[in-house]
Parts: sequence; structure tokens; C-alpha cells
Amino acid sequence: MFRRSAARSGTSRTNGREPAGEALRLVGVGRTYGSDESAVTALDGVTLGLARGTFTAVMGPSGSGKSTLLQCAAGLDRPDRGIVMVDGTELSGNGEAALTRWRRERIGFVFQQYNLLPTLTVEQNTVLPLKLAGRRVDRRRTRETLAAVGLGDRLGHLPDQLSGGQRQRVAIARALVTEPRVVFADEPTGALDTRSAREVLELLRDAVRVHGRTVVMVTHDPVAASYADQVVFLADGRLAGTLHAPSVEAVAERLVHLGDEAAHEAHEAHRRDVRGGGPRTGV
Amino acid sequence: MFALAMRSVRHRPGRFLATLLSAFLGAAITMAFNSLHDTAARPGVDGVSRETLSLVAGVVGGYGTLLVFFAVASTLTVTVRQRAAEIELLRRSGATPGQTGRMVVGEAAAVALAGTVLAALPGMLGGRLLLRLFKDTGQVADSVAYSFGPVALVAGAGTTVLAATGAALLAVRRATRRRGGPRGRARTRLAYAALAVGGAGACSTFAFPSDAEALMAPAASGAILLSIGFALLAPRLLAGLLGRTRPRGASGWLAVRTLPRRADEVSGVLIPLIVFAGTAMATLYMQAVENDAVAASGAVKTVEAKNLETINLVVVGIVVAFSCVMLINSLYAATVHRRREFGRQRLAGATPGQVLGAVGVEGLLMTVTGVLLGTVAGLAGLLPYTFVRTDSLRPGQGPAIWLGVVTVAALATLGTGAVTARRVLRTPAVEAVAAAV
Repeated sequence: MFRRSAARSGTSRTNGREPAGEALRLVGVGRTYGSDESAVTALDGVTLGLARGTFTAVMGPSGSGKSTLLQCAAGLDRPDRGIVMVDGTELSGNGEAALTRWRRERIGFVFQQYNLLPTLTVEQNTVLPLKLAGRRVDRRRTRETLAAVGLGDRLGHLPDQLSGGQRQRVAIARALVTEPRVVFADEPTGALDTRSAREVLELLRDAVRVHGRTVVMVTHDPVAASYADQVVFLADGRLAGTLHAPSVEAVAERLVHLGDEAAHEAHEAHRRDVRGGGPRTGV
Repeated sequence: MFALAMRSVRHRPGRFLATLLSAFLGAAITMAFNSLHDTAARPGVDGVSRETLSLVAGVVGGYGTLLVFFAVASTLTVTVRQRAAEIELLRRSGATPGQTGRMVVGEAAAVALAGTVLAALPGMLGGRLLLRLFKDTGQVADSVAYSFGPVALVAGAGTTVLAATGAALLAVRRATRRRGGPRGRARTRLAYAALAVGGAGACSTFAFPSDAEALMAPAASGAILLSIGFALLAPRLLAGLLGRTRPRGASGWLAVRTLPRRADEVSGVLIPLIVFAGTAMATLYMQAVENDAVAASGAVKTVEAKNLETINLVVVGIVVAFSCVMLINSLYAATVHRRREFGRQRLAGATPGQVLGAVGVEGLLMTVTGVLLGTVAGLAGLLPYTFVRTDSLRPGQGPAIWLGVVTVAALATLGTGAVTARRVLRTPAVEAVAAAV
């Protein structure tokens, strides 16, 4: 019931028009690192749409472009080609300052290494994005958010005084406090024990189910992915299929066969491009 | 472990640059001044020349050496603390605290020795130049030949190696000790000790007759020690003050909330800053008072007297310039190390401008603190000197020197911070937070 039109993702048939209710839309997004002979195509024309209020996991082997996809979609990196839209607004502007302003209006982040400021308390870390954006800080709401992630009694602690799981929950509170259109989580459970990981994943799922947020999570862990509504697979910088209502076993099995699918997908993409004469640079 | 130390110096030369620079400059200055002792000790030097040389080497060489000692030690403290992650890695790989300590101290000794060896030639040239100045102004007989001997070598190598290894030992002991222990007690004790000895040193000026030639020595050394004591206490003072402020604007908020919890790094920068401000004010004003006193004593301002002024200012200027370079050096090392912190701020939504703004506010707060405390330390050295030399508490000097020192301190602190931070911000935020420490 939380999946709605997300079923369209991965088919890459839509041609850039943005259907209503989409929190994130990528159209033909490509990113190449390096130049000339040493160029590496990390993303190769990814087209993807994610409905509001969905929880999506992005999976794929190392070097499949997961992190690049996340960085491009989140406005941390500019794609070489293609369009990124969050909540109907295109990623625009040049320079870090412009990108930062675009991001902080729309995006929340949760990182594997938490990326909390070690010199700020739990409460100060949580309100930092609001302060930086020059927005009003509602202390009561902040405390409610922190209480909701189970840290209501740790407001004055420094990150050093918290466990990994607690730090990640601060990071989640910080990501949610700005009420972003999309929350991007990059391996949020990568550094956690199983119990803390479960708590973090449940919080992310609640953010979607209870508060209607949209969450995109890059992970390599089938258990983590099974918390999502759908899993988008990536191989060699291209989409390699989608799995709805994923179970741990189905995800694991799909990952094993990802190599074959990637080859197939590449073949299909090539045929499409030849037929459609679409723009195709790189490689 | 010593082999590991050598290897780590060889493979990461960049990280030792700050230490090497301070050891090099420190050793060069120490050797240049102390070689005058060697020169004075040569057979056949006449009495007047010997007295002049010994005096300069004793007074300026004395407090100069003190300054070098603390400058090298403070740079070492900053750079060793920055290696907390590496030290933690060694600990987890099974290194005992003793082994880690030997490695870090071994590195510090190696770098300090390298700095001393490199500094030998410049130190020799500097000493020769000083001697030429004295000869040109007629204070030392032309027949005196320059000598670079054991006193210069021992003083240069001894000061830098002792300061480097001592600071490394203290810093690494802190780093290898498990967290949670009582912190800062040793620091507080050191601060009070520095203040007590510095205060006593400045007061001991009163015990000298007004025409004692070494009158400047206790006053200048006292000012330096007071500066160090203040610098060790300053971060806590600053934290107490900042806790009460409610700044507007994101950069100000970030700076004011961050600065108090970076006490260690902040005092690493405040030590050279306060020492610079304090030493510069004390020595420059003392020299000005001295010049006025000589003029007032009825002596006509001969060419010779003018030359004497110049040479004294040159000598004091070298020491002041050194402490300014140390300030820039420490601040650069401390700011470069904040790459990851800046990256996190940017990922949390700070624009590069906001990060630079916060660095600017921090720089401003440090400048104000440094100048205020430096002025107090400088006055503590200057006032007794003035009183003994001229029987008056008013130095009778305008604020020009003070303004000059403040301007240089502000420019060095704000400029170094801004330029370094701008460079650090060139790394994309995602890479900056992922980078190995």
C-alpha cells in the first residue's frame, strides 16, 4: 500500500515528463570520472522515478555506481548528463554554494560514518541544518524528534559519549528535522551491530510509513534491503531490475544473478539507443 | 620501533613539515645568537667587545631560546595530537603505549635533529651578520673573528631536540592513555607554574639597578612565561564567556558553539598568538623606552647612538618575526587538520561561505583573546622595566607599537585561517569526510 506508482521505476520508458506524486526523478543521468583514456563511466544513463512516501533500497556489487547514483540524486555531485528532479524541482545552479542551498531545502542525509560534528551536542547537531539554512528552530519539535529516536535523555551529550547506534539515530533525527522531500541513506547500518542496525532500519521505515517521508537507501546488505518497499538493482552503472516487497532470500538470490542481468540490460539498452537514436556519450 | 619511526618520517614528509620548519627556524635563531658566546670566548678578543657580545648572547639569546623552546614544543603538541587516529590504530594493532611513545618521540627527535643540521649554515651566516652589525656600529673591534663553536651547537641542538621530544612525550602520553581519565589537571598546573615563574621573573626586574645592562632579560623572559601561562588557561576562559553569548547567524553560531570544545587545538594556536603579542609588545616597547632613556640621559644623538637603536631593533625584530612565523605555522597545521570537520559541516548544509565565515569568527575571537592577554603579559614585563629604568610607570610611548602588533596579529590569524580554509574547502565534501586522517 506504500508502493503506489513506484512500479514504473527501472523500466526507463518514461521520457522525462514528471508524473504527479514523484519525490525523486532521474532522467538519463550519467556520470563519468576522469578523462579520455582513463575515463570511468560510473553511471550510464539511469532513468528512475520514486513516488512520495516510499522506501527504496539501491543495491549492486561494488563499483556498480550505487554511491555515484546517490551523490548525483542528492545534489552532492553534478551529473555530466541527464536531469535530476526532487519534488518536481530540477537540480540546478553551479558551484558548491548553489548546490548546498538546493540540497538543504530538499534533502536529508544519513551516512555510514554518521558525520556528526564532534564538537556539538546531540541537540546542537540535530538543529545544525536548520541553523545553517537560517530557519527557525523549534526546540519542542526538535526534542520530540530526538525523543522519537529514543534519545530524549541524551540532548546534552557529545557524539563521543554515544554508541554507534545512538549516533546513527542522532543522524536520522538530524536528517528528518528539516522535513526534507527525500532522505538519502548511504550504508546507514554498515558500521553497526545487528541490533542497532535493526533499530535504525525500523526508524527509517517509520519515517516513511508514519510520517510519509521518502527514503532512498544504498546498501549491500540483503537484510537491510528487506526493510524497503522495493529494491532497485544496479550493475555497471545501469539499472538492472527492481524487486517489490523484497524478502531477504529474494534479494540475495537476485544479487547472485545480477551479473547475467546486467549483461542482458546492457544489451537491451544498446538496442533501445540504436533504435531511438537517443543521446549517448561516454563509454 | 625506531625503525618504524624512521620509515614513517620518510614516507610522510609532508606531515612533518610544520615540525621541521619550527625546528629549523628555532635552531637557526638559537645558534645565531649563541655563536656570539663562541666568538666572545676566542682568545685575543678585547674586553669591551667580549662584554658586548656576551651581553647580547646572554640577554636576547636567553629569552630567544626560551621562546624557541616553547614554539617548537607547541608545534609538536599540535602535530602529535593530530595523529590520535594513527596512534589508536597502532594501539589496536598491539603496540604497547611504550612502543607508540618511542615511535612518536623518536620521530620528533629525528625531525628536530634534521632541522638543527639544516639550520647550522643559516645559523652561522646569521651569527656572522650580527657580528658584522656590531662591528659596523663600532661596538665590537674590527679585529674580532667570527667563531661558530660548541656553545652554538649545543644550544641549538639541545633546545630544539629537548623541546621536541619533551612535547612529543607529553602529547603521546595523553594520546595513548585511555579516555575518561581526569583531563587538564597537568595543564592547569603547568599554567599556574608558568604564571608564577613569569610573574616572579618580571618582578625580579626591581632587584636590578637601573643601569644594569641585562635589565631586559628577566622582564622579557617573564613576559614570555606569562604569555604561555595565559595561553594555557585561555581556552577555558573563552569557553566560559562564549557559553553566555547567543550569536545571530549560522557562522557565528557554529563558531561560538564549536570553539569551546576545541580547547586543545585553540590553545595550540593561542600559545604562539599570545606569545607573539606579548613578546612583541614587551620587547619593542622596552627597546623604545631604552632608546628614550639613553636620549634623555643627555647624550647627544650621535650617529653611533642611532646605529645602536637600529641594531637593537633588528635583534628584537628577529625574535618577534620568529614568533609570528610560528603563529602562522601552528594555525596552518591546525586548520589543514580540520578537513573532515569542514566536510561534515558542508554535508549538514553549510555553504563554503558559511564555513569560511565560521573560521573568520573563530579567528576574530582568538585574535581578541590573544591580543588582550598578550597585552597583559607584555605590560607585566614592560612596567617593571620602565619603572626601574626611568623611575616612572608611564612608558611615555604612543600606541603606535601596540597598534602595529595588533594589526600583524590580526592579519596573521585571520589571513592564515582564511587562506588555509579556502584551500581545504577545495576538496569535495564527500571526499573530505572519507579521507584518511
